[in-house]
Amino acid sequence: MTPLTVTHSPLGLPARVTRIGGVVRRDFAALRRSPIRMFEIVFWPTIELLVWGFVTVFLQSQQVPFVVAFLIGAVLLWQVLQKASNEISIAFLEDIWSRNLLNVQVSPLSTVEYVIGLILFSFGKVVFAIAVMAGLALAFYGFGVTSFGAGLVPFMALLLVMGWSLGLVGISAVLRFGENAQVIAWSLVFVVQPLAGIFYPVDVLPEPLQAVAAFLPATHVFTGMRTVLDGGAVPWGELAWAAVLAAGYLAATLGVFAWTLRYARSHGKLSRFGE
Amino acid sequence: MTILEATALAKRFGAVTAVHEVSLDVGAGEIIGLLGPNGAGKSTTLHMLLGLITPDSGSIRMFGLDLERHRIEVLSRINFAASYVDLPGVLQVREVLDVFARLYGVRDPKARVGELVELLDLGPLRKRKVMELSSGQRTRVQLAKALVNEPSLLILDEPTANLDPDAGDRIRSLLVRVARENGRAMLITSHNMQEVERMCDRIHFMSAGRIVASGSAAELTDVYSADSLEEVFLKVARARPEVARP
Ligand SMILES: Nc1ncnc2c1ncn2[C@@H]1O[C@H](COP(=O)(O)OP(=O)(O)OP(=O)(O)O)[C@@H](O)[C@H]1O
Ligand SMILES: [Mg+2]
Repeated sequence: MTPLTVTHSPLGLPARVTRIGGVVRRDFAALRRSPIRMFEIVFWPTIELLVWGFVTVFLQSQQVPFVVAFLIGAVLLWQVLQKASNEISIAFLEDIWSRNLLNVQVSPLSTVEYVIGLILFSFGKVVFAIAVMAGLALAFYGFGVTSFGAGLVPFMALLLVMGWSLGLVGISAVLRFGENAQVIAWSLVFVVQPLAGIFYPVDVLPEPLQAVAAFLPATHVFTGMRTVLDGGAVPWGELAWAAVLAAGYLAATLGVFAWTLRYARSHGKLSRFGE
Repeated sequence: MTILEATALAKRFGAVTAVHEVSLDVGAGEIIGLLGPNGAGKSTTLHMLLGLITPDSGSIRMFGLDLERHRIEVLSRINFAASYVDLPGVLQVREVLDVFARLYGVRDPKARVGELVELLDLGPLRKRKVMELSSGQRTRVQLAKALVNEPSLLILDEPTANLDPDAGDRIRSLLVRVARENGRAMLITSHNMQEVERMCDRIHFMSAGRIVASGSAAELTDVYSADSLEEVFLKVARARPEVARP
């Protein structure tokens, strides 16, 4: 076999890093060339923040006893989960929409490299959007993300990882069931919304749903958030359990993604998108 | 030297047998044509060679490696272009090429993009978005993408299908030049018989999922006592009237 000259040796680390960099650059360039999408990164989070912010203003004017920070904090952290999930699916769906999927699939990019690339880029976008929202929350409602204390980083990290898992499930659904399953990619994260006790404690849920909620990493994050905002300590034990769950789900959904990719290849689905 | 060796490939989609017992090989620097009527199984065959479709049975070896087990190594050495795929439309031409240079693990993406821009005469298009380009211009960008890793084998599925005769002719000249100068092998499908006659060292005719005739253009016209490859095509295609026409 003649040696490759123009490319790195395909299995070496430099080649892998270069390929992952390709995924990140592609998404970054697409974002840069599409001002509408730049605008969208901050549009929805800002709208949500405004709506819930005004709700808190109203409730306060009605002398309803509650903690403003619970709602604003919840809106901020919810965006982490939702964005992490949707950004991953969008990056994949864009290849389908632009009929570029086959080009990516015949490249030497491995499944894991592809996912790492998607994750890195979505990480950047989420951090950017949250930074903008955090600024607005401080300016409008005097809510600083520092109120999360030492919980800030683990809260966000757990929600990011859970969001990526949901995003991978969304992509897998599209690979398995075809383009119409896009709906699943968009809406899956909203199944979590009522269950994870985002705007209210999980105690208000019926017993069986509480049991389900206990298995969602997000539930423990939002419970922890309320504890911290209420002046309590970060519940590290509970967060550790959430981390185990989140890592387990990420590994499992990576497995599902790899399986659906094999399914799509054996059923000739990859060349049938967009038709 | 054989760089691709496919043996007894088969693929069914439900009740349809898309490919049946197809074996073919490609030597270094060879240009091989795959011809046949619509639905003959050409694209399915190419997609199996690219790892996009898993064969039901048969084996694919490239550069002495089994495709299934050495996917990354094999895919690093080949590339693909087709009339039915596109590149991300919002990206500029140079960005697309840079991205694919990286996806193929190119050491110096910037330098490589510069070379490709030169080779395919893309200078004036460098900063244009892909979606703004004409079909002919897009085909050139796609070919640049397909050459980004200096592939030893180029798999091209109807690369000139969307082009006017002039643009098609330019692309053909370019492909022949690239193959001859750099010793790249090509496996190409086309419905343009002159194109195939002009470019290909060997031709395989497919019909209803099988290879039914093989040889150089001259050999095939001889065997079928035909005046042109087009006549061979019609004879081969009509030899099996039970083949479903779309
Ligand atoms: N993903 C798929 N799912 C189901 N059937 C398929 C799939 N891909 C191909 N087929 C069927 O397999 C047969 C061969 O199709 P293929 O696309 O390989 O033909 P082709 O020779 O490339 O034709 P054309 O010249 O029209 O491009 C056809 O009957 C087609 O309907
Ligand atoms: Mg075809």
